[in-house]
Amino acid sequence: MSITYTIDGVNVTAEPSDTILTSATRAGVEIPTLCFDARTAIYGACGICLVEVEGVPKLLRACSARPQEGYVVHTDSPRVERARKTALELLLSDHTGDCRGPCKLNCPALTDCQKYVGEIREGRYKDAVSTIYQAFPFPASIGHVCPHPCEDACRRQMVEEPLSIAFLKAFAADKIEADGDPYVVQCEPSTGKHVAIVGGGPAGLTAAYFLRRYGHDVTIYDKQPKMGGMLRYGIPEYRLPKAVLDREIKIIADAGVQMINDVRLGKDLDFDDLRQRYDAVLLALGAWKSYNMRVPGEDLEGVIGGIEFLEQLGLGERPTIGERVAVCGGGNTAMDCCRTAVRLGAKEVYVVYRRTRAEMPASDVEIDEAEEEGVTFKYLTNPIEFYGKDGRLTGMKLQIMELGEPDASGRRRPVPVEGATEDIAIDNVLMAIGQGANCEGVDGELLTQRGTIACDDMTFRTAIDNVFAAGDVTNRGAGIAIEAIAEAQKAAFCINNYLEGDEVRRKIPYFVTQEVTPEEFEDRPKQNREKMPGLSPEERRGNFDPIYFGFSEEQALREASRCLECGCHDYYDCRLIRFANAFDIDPDRFAGIKHDREEVPVVSEVIVHDPDKCVLCGLCYRMCEQEVGKTFLGLYNRGFSTVVNPMVPKEAREFCASCLKCVEACPTGAMKSVPAVERVTQIV
Amino acid sequence: MRIVIGEGSCGLAAGAGGVHEALQKLVDHDNPAGIELGITGCIGMCFLEPIVDLYDNDGELHRLVKVQEKHAQAIYDAATTGDLSLVSKLLISAEDEEFLSKQTRVALRDCGVIDPESIDDYIAHGGYAAISKILSTGMTQEDVIQQIDIAGLRGRGGAGFSTAFKWRAARDSQGDQKYLICNADEGDPGAFMDRAVIEGDPHSLIEGMLIGAYSIGASEGIVYVRAEYPLAIVRLTKAIKDATERGYLGNNICGSDFSCTLRIKAGAGAFVCGEETALIESLEGKRGMPRLKPPFPAQAGYWLKPSNINNVETYANVAWIINNGGEAFAAMGTENSKGTKVFALTGKIRRGGLVEIPMGKTLREVIFDIGGGIRGGKEFKAVQLGGPSGGCVPASKLDTVIDYNELSATGAIMGSGGMVVMDESTCMVSMARFFLDFTAKESCGKCVHCRLGTKRMLEILDRLVQGKGEEGDIEKLEDLCYAIKDGALCGLGQTAPNPVLTTIRYFRDELEAHIRDHRCPAGECRELISYSINPDACVGCTACARQCPVKAITGAPKQAHAIDQDVCIKCGNCKTACRFGAVEVA
Repeated sequence: MSITYTIDGVNVTAEPSDTILTSATRAGVEIPTLCFDARTAIYGACGICLVEVEGVPKLLRACSARPQEGYVVHTDSPRVERARKTALELLLSDHTGDCRGPCKLNCPALTDCQKYVGEIREGRYKDAVSTIYQAFPFPASIGHVCPHPCEDACRRQMVEEPLSIAFLKAFAADKIEADGDPYVVQCEPSTGKHVAIVGGGPAGLTAAYFLRRYGHDVTIYDKQPKMGGMLRYGIPEYRLPKAVLDREIKIIADAGVQMINDVRLGKDLDFDDLRQRYDAVLLALGAWKSYNMRVPGEDLEGVIGGIEFLEQLGLGERPTIGERVAVCGGGNTAMDCCRTAVRLGAKEVYVVYRRTRAEMPASDVEIDEAEEEGVTFKYLTNPIEFYGKDGRLTGMKLQIMELGEPDASGRRRPVPVEGATEDIAIDNVLMAIGQGANCEGVDGELLTQRGTIACDDMTFRTAIDNVFAAGDVTNRGAGIAIEAIAEAQKAAFCINNYLEGDEVRRKIPYFVTQEVTPEEFEDRPKQNREKMPGLSPEERRGNFDPIYFGFSEEQALREASRCLECGCHDYYDCRLIRFANAFDIDPDRFAGIKHDREEVPVVSEVIVHDPDKCVLCGLCYRMCEQEVGKTFLGLYNRGFSTVVNPMVPKEAREFCASCLKCVEACPTGAMKSVPAVERVTQIV
Repeated sequence: MRIVIGEGSCGLAAGAGGVHEALQKLVDHDNPAGIELGITGCIGMCFLEPIVDLYDNDGELHRLVKVQEKHAQAIYDAATTGDLSLVSKLLISAEDEEFLSKQTRVALRDCGVIDPESIDDYIAHGGYAAISKILSTGMTQEDVIQQIDIAGLRGRGGAGFSTAFKWRAARDSQGDQKYLICNADEGDPGAFMDRAVIEGDPHSLIEGMLIGAYSIGASEGIVYVRAEYPLAIVRLTKAIKDATERGYLGNNICGSDFSCTLRIKAGAGAFVCGEETALIESLEGKRGMPRLKPPFPAQAGYWLKPSNINNVETYANVAWIINNGGEAFAAMGTENSKGTKVFALTGKIRRGGLVEIPMGKTLREVIFDIGGGIRGGKEFKAVQLGGPSGGCVPASKLDTVIDYNELSATGAIMGSGGMVVMDESTCMVSMARFFLDFTAKESCGKCVHCRLGTKRMLEILDRLVQGKGEEGDIEKLEDLCYAIKDGALCGLGQTAPNPVLTTIRYFRDELEAHIRDHRCPAGECRELISYSINPDACVGCTACARQCPVKAITGAPKQAHAIDQDVCIKCGNCKTACRFGAVEVA
């Protein structure tokens, strides 16, 4: 005879054979569990499915407890949450591995590099692009321009060189475009809420894309004639062909984002009006003002801001420069400036930088290519005066520097060598020592002393209720494109929460990580990274043609196959990490000794078991015993040393049919079937 | 005259085997007085083993204690001539006799009295009368259970669940086959009453089980004995064989319709197998890991058939209750806890051994009146009750009455009856660490809370005893304790935090001293203490230097000695060796 009871206020009908878990699941109430599987007998090991029943002093395991008529069950009481959290925290206190590889974790936008690289390796280019679109909507553009923190973290460099992750990203996006199968954004049904975004750069466009996906209406306003922001007006054509950018902006526009250009905040748009007309406003104004150098002579004709110089170019103008150009600064904007100067026909181009190459923030590859293009790097020099004739720049005086003690940033501080100066004759100076925001038209109470917009990096809220900010304009200051994109992605999440009436604050996702040493890769065969085909240095002079041709498919496949797959194969199906994030666990609460054991083949060369990821839910051996009728797996030892092992290794090797039921039932990445490719190489 | 040698495991370990052999040789050589040589089980006076009982021709008992092989001739002569003055030095003192005289023996009624290997001796002492009475007078299952109910018998293994309730549940459970199981996997450190019963009076267990089997309708009984009890297994095997031959086991017992067999299963030594569902798993040939309850064994136990499990001491009371009536049993004890309970008194106690007393006595009576108080003139500090599932009760609680509820209120438990007495030199932190180390190692590994929770608790306690504790550690321990109590699957895990919780409750200052001052007030934690020699007290006898295993002590004879701290391993041998109190611990 069936009974009825309530669970979290929901009426549930249960049959005599039901447990609280089975009847709740049927009623649509999810009770988390790691060790329950309807195909096996009740086991009760994980302690995650605990529920509280009014009038019952102890917490009950929902997987085994039978409901009784009139039970009032709570799955979300503070006591239940605490108990579940504790169980998860205990489990994670002895869980060793990498949920995701360092590539993803080092990407500000947490792009799942390992996943899309794997998809490229399998020829699933569309899937690869979809994976990138989970993080941001510029796979090709960012693939072309990103200084790729992912590659800096790539463990492949412990073997020889990091994976060419950024170019693979561009490859996948270019490939599906060439195949005539572009990505289409899927949006949730309309919510009727409307968000205004001011600024159509990488941050504004990314936020628009995510907010549109959430189902909100979005309008972007931008001061420039075209969308794209710094991607269009800060990065020269030879690095990012604008056709590529246009293509990716069109995908966002096609998703239904309204884009309005040539409107300037404070002039064409009124801030107060905006925030009253829209449910939320995101300020993504960027940083468009080159910092001055505070050197005498800055007002001379011929001294130009680097950003302004590049912006002119982006607007389709051809800035006039003389034959001798000096660029001040050592970042990627400085590289864009000097290489653009070369392309505009300057005969002598200098980069003036007060430290040495080792301290230079620009990417190595940019410096190398600038050198190839004939740029002269004047390290350990600092401009102290610009001078000229008739108000027109003719030269600059440089102070010779040397490196002293490290400063707060850890870089050695440049100090002047007394009396040592140098004069160089120049026609133009391009100042690229940094850039700041221009927040004209924004309510003054939102601004920091530095003129950027103050916002909380966990909510992206400003001092005004429905106004958010993201990208280079925020207090963090100007950075690389992927950083602005990452902020926008998170800000869109927070804005969506705000619009939905949820807790606005975002959570920092938790990943299990581990340290590895080069020794672990000693037996890996070496295979260097693919060389990107492109223009020779000579061919690059005097034109803005894209310098890279992109990987061929063969190259991309070869490059993708170099991935060491550091992240856990089971990440997307792992219940442990899903619950850990859902319950907001503190992984260090019960920190103690962790196991560090070898991954071992358990039953054959096909099935591998990583005991350090095992939660001892027993599903593998119970499936083997109860579903398959075999006893190839079992538990060994006691207490903290308990481990799953083949009961009789020889027998398992001989008779296990590798049905993989154990692998499939495993709630974490502890049981793994070795892909056929690797099996072959192992046997060989 | 009859000479009876106490040959439980304890007596044999103390040398009873050698004494027996020597006496046997003398008797075999020449036995003009017709001396009878016999054995018996453990009487419970561990501190006096080996014990030899001389019964004179009038049947009067003269108990000889701490007997050694060299005394065999004198005993033989005394028995041959009847001149007891020959063994007067071995006679038990009046004071030590109090150890027994102050007890009330029900479960242990025949232990140390009868020959455990003789079914005739058991029958001569009234054995198998209870089952015969039940079968011959036509007592129904309910009649029997009613007597147990009236007696108020509660499980003696630890949890103290009503025996009658369990029997009724198993009887009422539907099943073509039912099982009666005896839990003889006595695993608590310091508890050995079950062993004493099986070694000393195995038929009383068999009879108790027969009555239980009859009551629930079981036709098969299994005794799960730990393999570490080889003598118990030998004696029980013989007892089962003898009982079967006499018709007390097998088909149509005592000519009735009731049939029941009994067999032994030796456990491989996992503490958790003392947990009833883990025991059943182990019986089924699986890894000993607890099952979730419900279903309870009474509904789905061994091979998922209705089963009843009680421990040895519980069964040992049953025949007595049937013979004397439930009321007689219930007349002893308190409102909640009837009858008697056996305790294994160990530790820093003057007279250690097995003590059976009526419930309702106080801890003080057991420890001081029967046990004689603390050895070596030191101060009583605490008594550990209930082993790894129990806790430490401080001196302020000595007047606590022995009663399931009263003991639970202290934070400890009745448990199986382990009573480890501690004096001022015992570090309570180290004690808690000892029990946690035990449970962490004995955790079956199945549930998260027990497997990892106890490990993390142990790590904190390890830090404390090494002087590496941190502020907040006590709170962290408490946090873990309550989480484990709430989340662990079985009794082992749920009670594992008890030793730590009672330590926090009664000895918080000691924990704090370890954390804040990196000091062990009891002077036990090696990493926190140092030994030194007080030159004013040292007479230069060299005794300490000779006992030092690492030669850390220097000094000429008749001159004050000194300890090299860099070499000293803090074993404490010097302190034990010094007769002048010159070795000091700080």
